[in-house]
Amino acid sequence: MVVFALIIINKAGGLIYQRDFAEGLNKLSINDYLVLAGTFHGVHAITTRLHPLHNHSPSSQSAIETRPDPPSGIEVLETENFRLQCFSTLTGTKFLLFTEPQQPNVDKIVGRIYELYGDYVMKNPFYQLEMPVRCESFDRKLVQYVRPLNSR
Amino acid sequence: MVVYSFYIFDRHTECIYSRLWARQPDRPISSGPPPSRPISTSSTSSAPITLAPTNELHPPRRSTRLSAQDDAKLIFGTIFSLRNMVRKLGGPEDSFISYRTGQYKLHYYETPSSIKFVMLTDTQTLNMRNVLHQIYVNLYVEFVVKNPLSPVEHPGGEGVANELFELALDQFVKGVL
Amino acid sequence: MASSQPVKPPLASQPSQAARGSQPGLRYPSSGKTIYHRPLNRSRTQELSQASFAYLFGEMVSYAQRRVTGIQDLEKRLNVQGHPIGLKLLDLLLYREPPRTQTRPLHIIALLQFITTILWRHLFSRPADALEKSSNPDTPEEYMISDNEPLVNQYISVPKEMNQLNCAAFVAGIVEGVCDGAGFPARVTAHSVGKGEEGELWPGKTVFLVKFEPEVVEREVYLGR
Repeated sequence: MVVFALIIINKAGGLIYQRDFAEGLNKLSINDYLVLAGTFHGVHAITTRLHPLHNHSPSSQSAIETRPDPPSGIEVLETENFRLQCFSTLTGTKFLLFTEPQQPNVDKIVGRIYELYGDYVMKNPFYQLEMPVRCESFDRKLVQYVRPLNSR
Repeated sequence: MVVYSFYIFDRHTECIYSRLWARQPDRPISSGPPPSRPISTSSTSSAPITLAPTNELHPPRRSTRLSAQDDAKLIFGTIFSLRNMVRKLGGPEDSFISYRTGQYKLHYYETPSSIKFVMLTDTQTLNMRNVLHQIYVNLYVEFVVKNPLSPVEHPGGEGVANELFELALDQFVKGVL
Repeated sequence: MASSQPVKPPLASQPSQAARGSQPGLRYPSSGKTIYHRPLNRSRTQELSQASFAYLFGEMVSYAQRRVTGIQDLEKRLNVQGHPIGLKLLDLLLYREPPRTQTRPLHIIALLQFITTILWRHLFSRPADALEKSSNPDTPEEYMISDNEPLVNQYISVPKEMNQLNCAAFVAGIVEGVCDGAGFPARVTAHSVGKGEEGELWPGKTVFLVKFEPEVVEREVYLGR
């Protein structure tokens, strides 16, 4: 079980955090990561519109009582070498976690990372919203959490 | 398991074949729930797949949504970007297999000759890569490539949508699920 | 709204109504019971949400940061925010002590003991981690209170260009308020010491340096005789 890397993208598609935890993915330059974040942000937006059934009339009778969930974009992407779990918060921040293809419970891991982000980034008075995350204690807690997962 | 749609893109990034199943035609809702909303039949594993025929005769009137052509273009853009992203991160050998959103799942298979097969299914469906591979080997090669009347390239989808291929594809998808 | 019912007979709590009209920002609970209605000595088990405190403290730091000239100034402002809390806590905590020990601490050691145990427990639910006297003979007026993991700093990452800053200056202000209130005027400052080999274990370790005024030490010597 290996967690390769974490990327956080703000709601405008800007890269605000990138960190590798284990070997396994190619190292990119910071510029390439920025491009990648922007690309993923765009693709994510497109994938919300590709749902083949989404021309169900929203005016159908069931829509009156229960509002349907808004369409979600990519949640899981599988490739031969890795698995990408994307967690999009209600405010539009996206957490991209790269793991081994067979990694179990990835949604729990992402949830825990979101919690750490909520604690050590959002509660930090020196963090400016939507800006790159430079919080020492977030780095520390993140590594503390992921390292045991990788060595298991 | 429900198959929503199926696309083939050639190496010139053109959509040379698309097949939509289970696309809900826009009809007035007054007559109760639509007869075969496939999404509701996906609960049991033995559920028969529903392949709602596309109504070729009167294409759905969609003023607000994208046309099927635009859909194909968007799908191509998506898989193209994702494929490049995956190669960048996972190395040139890596290839992207599928992605899933809360509503649907997209499966992807690329042949060595850069023909891309894409299938959209519901989210419960397992890996369909082999299925796409079989479609390529057993159907596309057999009925399109080996068809003496079909051109080598298929600009505008010419020669792909022949009777044998479509029939076989229909049966194959029904049989596989 | 009260304004729509002008004939309503005045109630016992009406004075606050007038105040409410003039200060729309101040809100009262619907029961009319504010924190001031609670008995003073019955809050032993009352705890607050750390998350809400973290957000409040974050805003306090941002507020203090607005018009500051430098890190010293920022720490001073945080200190000033804490000072009145210390003054009030001294009274409150002594009032909550059993009657026999309700007296104000008269010696430096007694005062510091009070701070590291009773005050710390009240604020952070645990005693401070260490209390030391300065080993330097030139500075007999200095004492050090260590906290391995100050609660106020838990979610705070100080940016590199401000690495001198320690937001526990707020707690230092509280301690200073207690000392001043007890008649031991002092300057209290917070210093990060979580660097080097000790930093591995306690990266946020903070020492509160309590520096009493010379007359306090003088009095202490006189009392000791």
